[in-house]
Amino acid sequence: MTHTLQNSAVTHPADPRQALKWLAFGALALLLVLVPEGLSAYWLRVATTAAIYTLAAASLSLLYARLGLVSLAQVALVGVGGWVSLRVAHSGHWPFELSLLAGGIVAGLAGMLVGLPALRLRGLYLALITLMAAAGFNVLITAVQFPNGGEGLRGFNPAGGTLMVRPWLGQSDIGMFRYCVIVAGMGFLLIEWHRRSRPGRAWALIRKGEACAMAAGINVSLYKSWAFCLAGFLAGIAGALLAASLGTLDARSFPASESIMLAALSIVGGAYSFLGAIITGVLYRVFPAFLDNLGMAGDLSYVIFGIALLHTLIIAPQGIAGQLLTQWQHWRARR
Amino acid sequence: MNSYLIFLLAGLAIGSIYALSGVGLVMLYRATGVLNLAYGAIGAAAALISWQLDQWGGFTPLCWLAGIAVAGLISLGYGLLISPRLEHREPVIKAMATLGVLLILLGLLYSLWPANPRRLNLPSDAIAFNMMGVRLTLTRLLAFITTLLLTAAITLFLARTRIGLLMRALASHRQLSAIVGIRVIRIEVLAWSISGVMAGISGILLGALVRLDAGALTFLVIPALAAAIIGGLQSLALTLAAGLLIGVVESLCTLLPTLSSYRSATPFILAVLAIFWLQRNNRLLFASHQ
Amino acid sequence: MKTNRSKTWLHSLPLLGLLYGCQVLAAEPTLCGPTGAAPASGTPILVGAIVGKTGPDDFSSAAAAARAYFKCVNANGGIGGRPIEYVIEDDKWNPETAAQAASKLVKDRKVVALVGSGSFIEMSVNAKLYEEEKVISMASACAVRECFEARNIATTNQGPLPSNLGAVQWSVRKQGSKRVACIGLNIPSNGVWSCDAVNDWLKQQGLEGVSVVFDPAAADFTGVILEAMAANPDTILLNLPAGAGLGVLKAAQEQDLRDQYKWIAATPLYDSKIPAALGDYWDGHLAVQIELTRLDGQGPDAKRWRALMAKYGVGDSRASNRIDTFSQAGFVSANIFVETLRKLDPNQIDRASVSEALRGVKDYHTDLLCAPWTFGTGNKHMANHAGMMVQVKDLGYGDLEGCFEVEIPAIYRQVESGQGA
Repeated sequence: MTHTLQNSAVTHPADPRQALKWLAFGALALLLVLVPEGLSAYWLRVATTAAIYTLAAASLSLLYARLGLVSLAQVALVGVGGWVSLRVAHSGHWPFELSLLAGGIVAGLAGMLVGLPALRLRGLYLALITLMAAAGFNVLITAVQFPNGGEGLRGFNPAGGTLMVRPWLGQSDIGMFRYCVIVAGMGFLLIEWHRRSRPGRAWALIRKGEACAMAAGINVSLYKSWAFCLAGFLAGIAGALLAASLGTLDARSFPASESIMLAALSIVGGAYSFLGAIITGVLYRVFPAFLDNLGMAGDLSYVIFGIALLHTLIIAPQGIAGQLLTQWQHWRARR
Repeated sequence: MNSYLIFLLAGLAIGSIYALSGVGLVMLYRATGVLNLAYGAIGAAAALISWQLDQWGGFTPLCWLAGIAVAGLISLGYGLLISPRLEHREPVIKAMATLGVLLILLGLLYSLWPANPRRLNLPSDAIAFNMMGVRLTLTRLLAFITTLLLTAAITLFLARTRIGLLMRALASHRQLSAIVGIRVIRIEVLAWSISGVMAGISGILLGALVRLDAGALTFLVIPALAAAIIGGLQSLALTLAAGLLIGVVESLCTLLPTLSSYRSATPFILAVLAIFWLQRNNRLLFASHQ
Repeated sequence: MKTNRSKTWLHSLPLLGLLYGCQVLAAEPTLCGPTGAAPASGTPILVGAIVGKTGPDDFSSAAAAARAYFKCVNANGGIGGRPIEYVIEDDKWNPETAAQAASKLVKDRKVVALVGSGSFIEMSVNAKLYEEEKVISMASACAVRECFEARNIATTNQGPLPSNLGAVQWSVRKQGSKRVACIGLNIPSNGVWSCDAVNDWLKQQGLEGVSVVFDPAAADFTGVILEAMAANPDTILLNLPAGAGLGVLKAAQEQDLRDQYKWIAATPLYDSKIPAALGDYWDGHLAVQIELTRLDGQGPDAKRWRALMAKYGVGDSRASNRIDTFSQAGFVSANIFVETLRKLDPNQIDRASVSEALRGVKDYHTDLLCAPWTFGTGNKHMANHAGMMVQVKDLGYGDLEGCFEVEIPAIYRQVESGQGA
């Protein structure tokens, strides 16, 4: 008798995570198939950039959640990826995926470079260094400008230029939206794969204590650099997608304040889960558009985000996503 | 040779701007353990409030005092209400929290004072001195002298006085300080209000020297941070020197055509180089306890 | 006797009625065209605008003027009974937001045209979309090159190129300038483009020009002034927006440079707040080129513009109600638009007919503009290239020279010219 009872307990696990995964897949399917058709052209564009910045937010969360490091340079790395992908795309008739990967790889290397000083310093210094890097990038890109089909290494033609060619599967706005969502999803899978295998375990131990990690024989520098590289790679991919979506990028879109904003919103959205990254993307791009539709001044969103950031840091460090997931678990446990 | 001198002096003028904010930042960090990224925004609030009161016909020195008082109050409010709740957290998180204040202030300032040509005039703008071919207004000299005096005063204060000692203890470990019997709240009130007042003064000076615009003044904190980084977030004198150095190098880059368009990046490049230099002898630090 | 008096009274009724009617009509000035009996109530005509309002500067007063104009038109019968529904979007100085706003207006709401747009970035982002969707933008506050090199965009303001050229040409003519330092922002499609054009023109005249461009986010203007001084000019041209211009002038004042150079500026420094902000140091020493006509002009259209803004002008989160040159330009754009629409059959007003009609606008006269305005049939449109010269004086502006034509580069000159267009 007890045997059967035990078996029934095993065969019907009250596993919130399983249900959550089905929910996630369902939502993804919905997102890919139904949502784009129903959106107006305006909201479709907003949703596309939200999906792109979800990927950037995920890269930021990777560093924060896995290693406890705040990077205030992710939007600048998005810019780096955008620049490289634009340059590659304008240099020949390559498939878009080549520009995408080129942008990601160079941004990954840049991310690793930025993280180099942090290998031996505390978290605050890394945050400050990334802030310096972001501000420096702003100056650099203002002087160099984004490629638009011109000649030379800069590839910038002051008289105006051509737009970047979109991926073959993403020619229309709807197609581009789906493409971005799929690439973002693949980015998430990449992060998840890392988390479940060796790098993830190494990062977890490093977070607990670098002394422990070193004592356990982990090459701390290597794994930290790997994390920076991955975060840069994802941000660079996001940059390439942004360039393709808009056709061109503007140097004025990448001030240091944008990186600060993304970091703040990543914390508010929730840095410890993918839902958090999605919420961040929505907050970053959809929420201001929403406020704008209501006729409210754009400055109001700064105030709201500032209050949300303070609230999150003090009361709910897991962010909005964390609170939602906790609610979900309570609800499932009660059933 | 003369043109080098001219740019050198101009560089010292801009460098003192960076140094002024940098010293304020480091002072607060040493006294409370918090790197206040909203320092520039608080200064911007002071500048815009005093400008507005002046526009409404107030007595000018009172307007400045009002602006500085508001800056002190904002800083104090944060220090008493929000900062204690984050005392257990890492310095990075405490700094991120000040970003929240930055965003709130920026939004409020932008909505109250949208982009418009504004000029903050100080009476010291009218008096100028000729120094080796460059004219320096009294405002610039005041900024420079204020920075020097504040650096010296605060260094002595932190190192020699009892309250300075208590502040350093507080910054080091707030809970232990409370257990030992230090009047935590009182010291914090002092530290945050002094920091706020300094932010207010530098905000007004910067508003007159640079531009009276909420965004520009708020993000002047970034080059100031560069100076603070070079100072190791510890030494006020080094921060001062770093600020001046950054200003001079940036100004001298104007003379080199190839580098000229990148010269605004000087603070950041120098900061990164300084970090590499400062930790050249470090072995791996173990970040389990901050 | 009684009957006679009553008869006279009766006979005079129609006359009295006529007089009363005339008085009513005369009391309502025709601020925006013929007055109608009732407010418009037919199918709305959708018109859009994209402005850069939230951000480093505010270009939205053009849309506010257009909005006031359309309000007046709607209150007076609309276009053949059809009201104009005007939607203003704020691009917040962000290219993504500008693209989204254009999608919303052009693709979702299907506006027949855009009128009164004013932005630093939306034209460069959306020019291609406007061409693809065959919609015309009658802009009013353009500041970048792409705005003037787009097939479907024509603006009523001058923008940096004609304004700076005008200032320099005046200075060469009247002040004998031989070497000009052009201080501008290092934005390729704004400061660099217009300073290069100035230098090219000077070279053609056998004179010299030097560009001194800097980062808009720069904290220190003294370095900029020193750089300009190092170029050894006799004239310094301020190719800057108002805020930066004030900063540079203050740095110049600190160095007491007023009498060492001739100081000229492009139109952004023509603003009612500037003379008070500058103080009396610059009195009579700063010559500014203006892209339309004086804000306190006394021509019939100028008076109409001010009266319209007083009656219908309102500021909100979408557009600021300011009395500046963009507001004038917005008024002119709206005026041209409405008059063009009135020539069409109200039932045939759609994007195609409106686009065709707007492209055909030729030699539009108004005292708010220095020369007749033509849309032009080419792929580039620099329709406003005549302005005035004023100088900062007595906490205001004094006249220096009345309307004069600016010699703009050949590629921008319109193919068909009415009278020296």
